Amino acid sequence: MGDLIVGISSGAAYALMAVGVVLIFKCTRALSIAQGEIGAFGFFVALRWAARGIPVVGWHIPAFMTLVVAVLIAAGIALIAERFVMRPLVRRPPLDALIATLGIALFLALLELQVFGTATQYATSPVGNWKIVLFGATLVAPRVVALFVAAGVAGALYVFFKRSKFGLAVLATAGDPTVARVLGVPVNQVYRFAWVVGGALSGIAAALLAPAFGGLTPFGQTTYALRALSGAVIGGLDSVWGAIAGSLIVGVLESLVGAYVSAEARSVAVFAAVLLVLLVRPRGLLGETAAA
Amino acid sequence: MKLPRLDLTPQRIAGLVGVAVVVIAPLLPGVEGVQLSIFAGVIATAIAALSLDVLVGRTGQLSLAHAAFLGIGAFTTVNVGGRGAPWPVAILGGVAAAALAATIAGLPSLRIRGLQIAIVTLALQYATEQYAFKNQTITAASQSLDRPGFMGSDTALYFFACALLALTLIVRWRLGVTRAGRALLAVRDVEGRANAFGVEPGATKLLAYTISGALVGLGGALLAFKNAPGTLTSLDPFVLMRSLLLVAIVIVGGTGSGAGIIAAAFFIDGVPQIFESVGVPFTHVKLELGTYAPLLSALLLVVAIVLQPAGIGGVLQDRLERLRRRGQDPPSPRPRLVDLGAASDAAAHLRDVPRGLSLTMPVRALLEAKNVTVRYGGVNALSDVSLEVRRGEIVGLIGANGAGKSTFFNAASGFAPTTGSIRYRGIELLANSPARRTSYGLARTFQDMGLVRAETVTENLLLSQTWLAKYPSAAGLLALGSTVRAEADLRRRAAVALELFGLDHLAGERLGDLPYGTMRIVEIAAAVAAGPDLLLLDEATAGLGPEEAHALGDRFLALRDELGLTLVVIEHHVPLIARVCDYCYCLESGVLISEGTPAKVTADPKVVESFLGRAAAASGGGKP
Repeated sequence: MGDLIVGISSGAAYALMAVGVVLIFKCTRALSIAQGEIGAFGFFVALRWAARGIPVVGWHIPAFMTLVVAVLIAAGIALIAERFVMRPLVRRPPLDALIATLGIALFLALLELQVFGTATQYATSPVGNWKIVLFGATLVAPRVVALFVAAGVAGALYVFFKRSKFGLAVLATAGDPTVARVLGVPVNQVYRFAWVVGGALSGIAAALLAPAFGGLTPFGQTTYALRALSGAVIGGLDSVWGAIAGSLIVGVLESLVGAYVSAEARSVAVFAAVLLVLLVRPRGLLGETAAA
Repeated sequence: MKLPRLDLTPQRIAGLVGVAVVVIAPLLPGVEGVQLSIFAGVIATAIAALSLDVLVGRTGQLSLAHAAFLGIGAFTTVNVGGRGAPWPVAILGGVAAAALAATIAGLPSLRIRGLQIAIVTLALQYATEQYAFKNQTITAASQSLDRPGFMGSDTALYFFACALLALTLIVRWRLGVTRAGRALLAVRDVEGRANAFGVEPGATKLLAYTISGALVGLGGALLAFKNAPGTLTSLDPFVLMRSLLLVAIVIVGGTGSGAGIIAAAFFIDGVPQIFESVGVPFTHVKLELGTYAPLLSALLLVVAIVLQPAGIGGVLQDRLERLRRRGQDPPSPRPRLVDLGAASDAAAHLRDVPRGLSLTMPVRALLEAKNVTVRYGGVNALSDVSLEVRRGEIVGLIGANGAGKSTFFNAASGFAPTTGSIRYRGIELLANSPARRTSYGLARTFQDMGLVRAETVTENLLLSQTWLAKYPSAAGLLALGSTVRAEADLRRRAAVALELFGLDHLAGERLGDLPYGTMRIVEIAAAVAAGPDLLLLDEATAGLGPEEAHALGDRFLALRDELGLTLVVIEHHVPLIARVCDYCYCLESGVLISEGTPAKVTADPKVVESFLGRAAAASGGGKP
C-alpha cells in the first residue's frame, strides 16, 4: 500500500510533463522529448539565483520563488523554441519536429553541463520540508504538492476544453489545423499556447521532482521525461486523460518493481510496458488514433 | 581488349580524394599513435551514425538507443573474445547481439507507423544503461579482451577501423542497389501499396532494424578492440547523450550521405578530442574548442533541421550535381517520340518471366468478374458487378466520378474488401494476396501514384520488379554472384521499358521533379517492366496534353499488338476510348449500366445521362 502511494505521487509528477507532451502533440503534431530539459534548465537557473543571487542586481531569491522563476524561465524557453524552431517545422514531416525537440534538449543539457558542471546540484524544496505519513508511506512535501498540482491541472484542463472558447479552438486545431485556420481559429496562438503551457508544466515538474529525487543533473530530467513520454504513449498520445493515467501506471509500476524486484529492474519494466502496450494496443489505453 | 573508360564524375573524384586522405593520414608528420587511436574511436562513432542513418533514411523512423546498441555490441565482443574465442567470432558475437537488440526495439513497427516507436527506443536506451551497463557481470569487468597480433600497433588498429568503415559503406551501398533497400523505401513512402510490388512490409521493416543493429554492433566491436587489452573502462560512449549526439551527426551530415555523415562525425566527435584548445593566431585568446564543440553541434542540429534538412551531404550533393551538369541543358521532362516498332521488338521479351502459376489452360476470358460487391461501412462502392476481359483486348472502363471504377481495380488487385468472384485464367483471385496476384501476371497503376517520388525513375522501375528479384536480401547485401546477375537483368528490363515509353533520357532524374503527366507515364512503364499479362491503368492520361494523350494511345496499341498484353483502362478521354478500346463497360454508382463496343456505349442514353444529366440525354445533347 505504501509503495502504491509513493508510486502514485511519482506518477503525478511525471503526469505534469506528460500532459505537456500530449498538449503539444495534439496541437502541433510534434512529439517533444525536450519536456524534461526545458524545465530543468529553468530550475537550474533558479537554484543558482537562490544560491548566488541574480546577476547584476544581486538579490537572492527565496526558496519558494525558485518554483516561480523555474516556471517563468521554462515557459520563456518554450516560447522562443516555438517561435523560431517549431513553427517553421509545422508543415514538415513529424520526424523533423521530433528531431528538433531532441536538438533543443541536447542543447539545453549541454549548456547546463557547461554552466553548472557535472556534479549533482542540491535542490532545495520550493514548497517546504514538511512531510506526511499515509498508509505507512512517508511523502515529502514536493510529492504531496505534485499530487495536488497534477489533479488541479487535470481539472483546469477539463474546464478549459469544455467551457472556454479558446479551449474549443485548441480542439479544432488538434482535429485539423488547415480547416481550423480557414474557420478563423488563431492557429499560431494555439501553437504558442500549447508550448508555453507545456514549458510551464515542465518547470513545475522539475522544481518538484528534483528535490524529491535527490537533486538535479544535466540530462537527469530527461530520464524523468522519458517516464512521462512512456506514460503518454501507454495512455495514448492524443489523450490528456490517457497521459495522466499512463504516467500514474508508470509511477506505480516503478515503485512496485523497485520494492519487490530490484531498483535496476525498474527501467526494464517501463521499457517492457511501453513495448507491450504498443504491440497489443498501438493507440494506447485511451488514445483514439495510432497515427503520429 | 578495350578498357572501360572511367567516368570521372565530380562525386567519384571527391570519393577518391577522401580515400587518399584516409590512407595518407597516419604517414603525415606530427600524427602520433594516440591520435590514430582517437581516429579509430571517431570511426566507431561514424559507423554508429551511418547505421542509424540506415534506419532514419530508409524507414523514416528514429532510434534513440543507438548508443546502447553500440555498447551491447562492444560488451558482447569483450565477453566473447575475453573468454578465448578468436577475434572474428568475437566481432560476430557483438554484431549479432546488437542486431537482436535493435530488432526487438523495432517490433512495434509491425503494428504502427508512428513516432511512438522512438519512445520505445528511448526507454530501451535507459533500461540498457540502468540494467546492463551498471551490472559488472555483463560489462565483463573480469574479462580481458586481447588484440590479435595484426592489430598490435595503433597504426594497424587505425587501418582495421578503416576496413570496418569501408565494410559499413559497402553494406549501405549494396542496400541501396538491391531489393531490400528499394523495398524499404516503398514501405516508407507508399506502405499500403508496397504489396503490389511483391514487397512484404512487416519483414522489410524489421530487416531495417536488424541491418542497422548489425552495423552499429560492428562499431561496438571496434571500440572493444580499441580499448584492448582489457575491458571498456568508460561508459561514456554508450549513454543517452551519445544517442542524441548520433542523431545530431546524422542530421548535420545529411541523411543518406555517407560522406556528409563521416565529415559530421569527425567534426562533432573528433575535433573536441584532437584539438582540446586552439590558440587564435596573433592573439593570446585560447578557444576552448574541446568544450564548446558538443554545444555547437547541438546548435547546428537545430539550425540544420530548420534551415538545411539535407545537411552537409545535401549541400555537397547539390554543388557536385551542378558541377556535373555545367554547360548542359537539363533534359526535357516530357517523353520523347520513339520508333515504336523497334522499341516494341526490344520489349517483346519483357513477359518472359517465371509465373507464380503453372497453369496454361486456355480460357476465353483472361479476367472474369462475377457478382463483385465492395462495401465500405454502409455504402456499396460496387454492387453485383459482372464483367469479363478477353485475352488480347483493350477494355475501357468509364463512368462519372465515384462510379466505382478504381474500386473495381482495387478489388481485382487485392486492395479492397471484396465479395463475389474474380477469376484470372480460371483461378480465383480473391483468396490470394496482392503480391501473389502480381506474380500471376497482374499489374496496375494507381490514380494518385503508387511510386516513390524521392527516388530516380530507374529506381522506381526496379522497385516494381521486386517480385522478380527472388534472391534473399542477405545474399544481395553480400553481392553473391547470382544476385549481381539478377540485378543486371532487372536493370536491362527497366531500360527496355523506359525506351518503349520514350523516357530513357529521364532514367536518372528524381521522379518527384518531373511533371505530373510524365510521372504517370513512368508509373505505366514501371507496371510494364514488372512483366504482366494483364495491365490495369487508372486514368493514365490525367495531366497529359492532347498530343501526349494521343501518343500514349499509340503505346497502348503497341502493348496489345506487339507485346501481347491485355489492358483495362479507366479513362475520361472519350476520343481515346473510341480509338483504342475493343470493348467498353460503363459504371454508375457502383452498378454496371452499359457494355459493348465503344461506339455503342458512348451513344447509350443511359451513359449520356450518367455523364451529362437527364436534360442533355433527352435532347440528345451530344456525346459525353
